[in-house]
Amino acid sequence: MEKMLKKFIQNATRVAPKISKKGELFELRNGLVSQYPQTRKDAIKKTIQQMTLGKDVSSLFPDILKNIATSDVEQKKLVYLYVMNYAETHPELCILAVNTFVSDAQDTNPLIRCMAIRTMSMIRVDKILEYVEIPLRKTLQDDNPYVRKTAVICVAKLFALNKELCQELGVLEDLISALEDSNPMVVANAIAALSDIYEADESVVPLPKLIQSHVSQFLLALNECTEWARIIILGALAEYTAKDSLEAQEIIDRVTPHLQHVNAAVVLASIKVVIKNLPQVQANTESPIFSKLSSALVSLMSTPPEMQYVALRNIRIVLEKYPHILSRELRIFYVKFNDPLYVKLEKIDTLVRLVDPSNLKQCTLLLAELKEYAMEFEPEFVSRAILALSQLGVKYSEPKFITKVLEIIIELCNTRDSFQDDCLVAMCNLLRHAGPDQEGMVTQVCSLAEAWSSVENLLQTDYAKCNYIWLLGQFPQKFNNVERKLQASIDSFTQEESLTQMSLLISVVKLHSILPGSMLQNLLELATTSTDEVDVRDMAIMYWRCLSVESSHDGLINELCNSSLPEIATTLDTFSPELLETLLRELSLLSSVYFKPVSTMTKPKSSSGNHLKGKQLDELQFMAQDEILKNMNEDNLLDFDNDWPAASNSNYKSEAQGSTVDYLNDIFGLSSPAPPVENSMADLSLNKKDEKQKSSNTQDLLDLF
Amino acid sequence: MASCIYFCDNKGKVILSRRYRDDVPPSAIEKFPSLLLEAEQESSIVPPCLTHNGVQYLFIQHNDIYVLTMSRSLSINVAQVFSFLYKLVEVLAEYVKTVEEESIRDNFVIIYELLDEMLDYGIPQITETKMLKQYITQKSYKLIKSAKKSKNVIRPPSQLTKSVSWRPEGITYKKNEAFLDVTESINMLITASGQVLRSEILGKVNVRSRLSGMPDLKLGLNDKGIFTSVESASSSEATEGKKSNIELEDLKFHQCVRLSKFENEKIITFIPPDGDFELMNYRLSTPIKPLIWCDAKIQVHSQSRIEIHCRAKAQIKKKSTANNVEILIPVPEDADSPKFRYSHGSLKYVPEKSAILWKIKTFNGGKEYSFAAQLGLPSMTDAEVPRAKRPIQVKFQIPYFTTSGIQVRYLKINEPKLQYQSYPWVRYITQSGDDYTIRTA
Repeated sequence: MEKMLKKFIQNATRVAPKISKKGELFELRNGLVSQYPQTRKDAIKKTIQQMTLGKDVSSLFPDILKNIATSDVEQKKLVYLYVMNYAETHPELCILAVNTFVSDAQDTNPLIRCMAIRTMSMIRVDKILEYVEIPLRKTLQDDNPYVRKTAVICVAKLFALNKELCQELGVLEDLISALEDSNPMVVANAIAALSDIYEADESVVPLPKLIQSHVSQFLLALNECTEWARIIILGALAEYTAKDSLEAQEIIDRVTPHLQHVNAAVVLASIKVVIKNLPQVQANTESPIFSKLSSALVSLMSTPPEMQYVALRNIRIVLEKYPHILSRELRIFYVKFNDPLYVKLEKIDTLVRLVDPSNLKQCTLLLAELKEYAMEFEPEFVSRAILALSQLGVKYSEPKFITKVLEIIIELCNTRDSFQDDCLVAMCNLLRHAGPDQEGMVTQVCSLAEAWSSVENLLQTDYAKCNYIWLLGQFPQKFNNVERKLQASIDSFTQEESLTQMSLLISVVKLHSILPGSMLQNLLELATTSTDEVDVRDMAIMYWRCLSVESSHDGLINELCNSSLPEIATTLDTFSPELLETLLRELSLLSSVYFKPVSTMTKPKSSSGNHLKGKQLDELQFMAQDEILKNMNEDNLLDFDNDWPAASNSNYKSEAQGSTVDYLNDIFGLSSPAPPVENSMADLSLNKKDEKQKSSNTQDLLDLF
Repeated sequence: MASCIYFCDNKGKVILSRRYRDDVPPSAIEKFPSLLLEAEQESSIVPPCLTHNGVQYLFIQHNDIYVLTMSRSLSINVAQVFSFLYKLVEVLAEYVKTVEEESIRDNFVIIYELLDEMLDYGIPQITETKMLKQYITQKSYKLIKSAKKSKNVIRPPSQLTKSVSWRPEGITYKKNEAFLDVTESINMLITASGQVLRSEILGKVNVRSRLSGMPDLKLGLNDKGIFTSVESASSSEATEGKKSNIELEDLKFHQCVRLSKFENEKIITFIPPDGDFELMNYRLSTPIKPLIWCDAKIQVHSQSRIEIHCRAKAQIKKKSTANNVEILIPVPEDADSPKFRYSHGSLKYVPEKSAILWKIKTFNGGKEYSFAAQLGLPSMTDAEVPRAKRPIQVKFQIPYFTTSGIQVRYLKINEPKLQYQSYPWVRYITQSGDDYTIRTA
């Protein structure tokens, strides 16, 4: 009894002093060297807390280090965490920790062995790296798979820190042989490590060959590992090209079960492998594999919004290759009230893409749904819905249906105030598709536009203005007072952007016979003297020349004016075949979300040699780029950052900007001299189709040559 | 691969971070708040991936925090990243209950430990909470004590890297039980005129396993594609033929289910993790009629008042009951002085949601209730400010009932070594999904 009481009292009255919450450095320092283990541990925790808050506690390094030799695993973890964070600021003191690292790497507890090797290979200090060889070798051959799976990743870490040392030690060979490990998790980590190394330097490891020779192991391991390991292994399988249709079929058969995994990333990785092998097995569209793919894709729609976003962007790619794969699943992609806006917009895009243009019922259904969306509140959403309406009309391509679409848009235009831009563009697209002989539609649209009083204030975007002027030029007989309307635009010529300027040129030249000559003269002068746009100026000069030789070649100018427009077949933008194939290979990667293949990105060149200095330069470069971008026009900044969703109007600008940054890269001489041009080229090819329609007038002009 | 994990508050300020690689400079995170802001200002579209200076920012939102990861490379598997971030939040929730700014600050030690274990060099490793809890525990004092004995030092469970990585050995229960919860969530979109535009059933089977040893389980459902078992298919065909078999689409299984066995033999077999987990989920897009039908006539007399007449009907079997029915009807933001007339449930004006909330505790099958409401509108309004069109939202729960008709035929539990008696329990419930909405005219 007395004993128990004594014990109780002893426990209750804690002798070890506590560390206050303030976290003053001197107090922490005293705590760290306290004679009581509990106080020391408290102090370590408080130190880490300060570190988490972003305070610089690196000055406590020597005192923290005194606590590294402990049997308390948690304390050890914290000390290791600290050491990892601040090792670079105290390289000379790190050497004191080496002994503990090396002995910990031989501890009987696999957890400690792992921690030691994991931490050691993360520290950017040459002196530590000198000692890494033996522990790394040992752990790579460890009996415990938990240790091995950690060690294989350490090879990749070491490679990133010091390529030469890593090659000298010959641990890469160990890493390669880990692909044959009996444990699937080790295999998966080995693949991940190898891919990482391969991405940094293709010459060091023959990754494609390795995948080739290990396919059967991978397929075997697939059924027996964690979800994350599956993703990695499936990723490797997607890199492999089957020898013949038989093998392709086998891979598909082995992978399809995983389409039913609960983890959406596993599903997407499986889809990728199946799609990779599909062309080789020549499955017809009735084949069950398509319905399995379809239901797997659909299932991705019951995931969190971020995942849905990735799925939708990927579905966009898959749909272009297999347009009918989801044609029965239209309703799944209906917008939900709670969806975030970025998901809603992608869903609309998907809806229009997957609707089957030969199925009137489906198209009518979608039309009603899109109409509902167009009545919503969020401006971006409504704009997108209006665009989708016109896309659907063009896709179904039947005069009656188009009339219906047109009526909806006209109604929208009349009832809602702020969407004239979008409506006008949508209507012009429909007119261009239906052709000029649809008298009824033309009258409807033109009488609507006729009624607008001050178009200059009503229409905001360059693109809408350009379409308005095209409308004037195309159907002058439908408007009263075309001359006054055009004159108003000419008056604001210098403030307009290039599309409107070009459109204006074309329309005025086209109507030169019914407009007063001074107007044409005035416009041509403006276009040749007061614009910076080279294209506009060239165009004006060319027109001018044509007009001045009119007397001798009367036909030329007539031909210019009366050319009929090529009909637009679709307003949905498409990828070029090469881009599509690349993107299919990169499904589930970030590049597939941006529609920008990995190869278009400049690789950050891994600076070998002096790490610390390299890192500082890296940092400096980052900051400098930041600064320069900041000083640029803010609009442009955003265009540059994500020019994929933005309309291509500003393509010229982002190009110019891109080159500035690349110029900067050249100054630093760090990034490889590669593809600024290629980058913007990719953008262009992506937007080409889009651009074509936007500047349809330019296109006509080009057609003439 | 992910270079780092950051937890940021709702402004984008860092709460806690763990860096795995050096390719993204530490200063890159400072740009995150302004990136968010810029994206929001430009338009209200803020996709979950942003780029700045060649650094990719990938993030999810949870409660009041952002969980963010960064990368230099476009070849990062973004599906894996999002999947992992959600898993991370899920695991943290099991350690700290709600994952929010405060709980992260309070539990930084354990979170660092978890981040170390779950992600190595940006490669996801172990995310099974049951297993992580074996060697990462909050009660650190235990460690000190056991460390003294030196034999019992915590170490990674050997199961961790084996093929059954989700279940430790040596679990014992006095009474061996397994509980099955079949939950079906109904999502439905109905037009103002009562036409069902889209309907889907999202079903899931949750299991609470309290079983000893390494039991092997076999689940039989009345799904067409799933063979209940070889004998029953042939011998008891006469009796079972009457029961309608249903066909589930998009079956998704927990990783413990042997997928290839299911693919080839259509049998669901698995060694369950201990405790609660979601065994499978499925989706059905068969058209269904609204379980809770609701019709609201909303008349707006602008600048004076708004009148709402609403009827709701439980279109379910007489024996069934819908519980906790909530019908949320939107009203204009500037409405005031509500007047209600109703016979059942409770009716409340919720100004912060600009809506009327009608709650009915128990709603018996076949019954129809209604209410009438009138709210005043201000006589002065901004001329034609466009209003958001919001739908009516309905919530409900119907116990002992599945819409799809799915039934658990049997759950066979077999532990080869222990051979104990075990008791499976099954519960069914149907509830509204997150999108059971009726559009307003």
